Amino acid sequence: MSITARSSLRSVAVQVGGALRRHRIRAVLTGGACASLHSGGAYSSVDMDFILLGDVAQAALDAAMRSVGFRRKGDRYVHAHVRFYVEFPRGPLAIGGDYRIRPVEHGRRPRALVLSPTDSCRDRLAAFYHWNDRQSLTVAVSIALRNRVNMGAIRHWSIAEGAERQFEEFLADLKIARGKRSARETR
Amino acid sequence: MVIKTRSSPFGGVGRTRVLLALRMLSESYPRELARVLGMPFSSVLQALRSLEMDGLVAGRALGRTRVFKIDPRYFAYDELQRLLLQLTESEGELKTRVSALRRRPRRTAKPL
Repeated sequence: MSITARSSLRSVAVQVGGALRRHRIRAVLTGGACASLHSGGAYSSVDMDFILLGDVAQAALDAAMRSVGFRRKGDRYVHAHVRFYVEFPRGPLAIGGDYRIRPVEHGRRPRALVLSPTDSCRDRLAAFYHWNDRQSLTVAVSIALRNRVNMGAIRHWSIAEGAERQFEEFLADLKIARGKRSARETR
Repeated sequence: MVIKTRSSPFGGVGRTRVLLALRMLSESYPRELARVLGMPFSSVLQALRSLEMDGLVAGRALGRTRVFKIDPRYFAYDELQRLLLQLTESEGELKTRVSALRRRPRRTAKPL
């Protein structure tokens, strides 16, 4: 399956992740694109941030990306047929002060390494906690609504980030969202 | 060859000084940083871009200005803040320049 103008973010992300894997490059999809995957598109992103795990030669990365039609332009990779672009921000892979992140596999064939729903939720919450970005709060709620997330871990981390009050706000919004979903389902 | 008179533990004098200024100001924009640091605007932009790539600073749009601060999501944020605080101790001149900046609010159209 190749990338075409009609390819979705999910499809492109998985194909890029798969290509990196084939070239023995370990990279994890993070940020908005990952949140988009876990939130079922509640948030749309055009940039895909992959964090490289370990050193990679530029030539090897170029070759992997070329295999799925991306070419390097400045510090990002662009594709002739899709508006999505790929960047490789410098690591380490961390969410706030927590750098013991365990990525999960997403997709069947190919498969990409991505943040788990819990970590993606925390990633969005970090933007809400530290930048008061309410769009990120909405996305975090969407992720928690559609996936099983480890709420105890999120609470623990939130307290460590000094954001207990904002975490309570997240819980309140999640409760409202769950209520609305239940109401829709019983109709 | 110019002899370096300042320590630059963050990869370059420009990067280090921008970080120190951001530590003191909490957040700032490139023109203000250039003024406070006495650095060329382009050098400040270059330092900010490189620090942003490293995830040490983050910028957001405020109207037509991009405002930067040390990224609170950086994994070693607390440690970085502590180190910068220590480093600012020897930056008397920079402290004076920062102290001269008026940052408190001023009612619109109130004469100086």
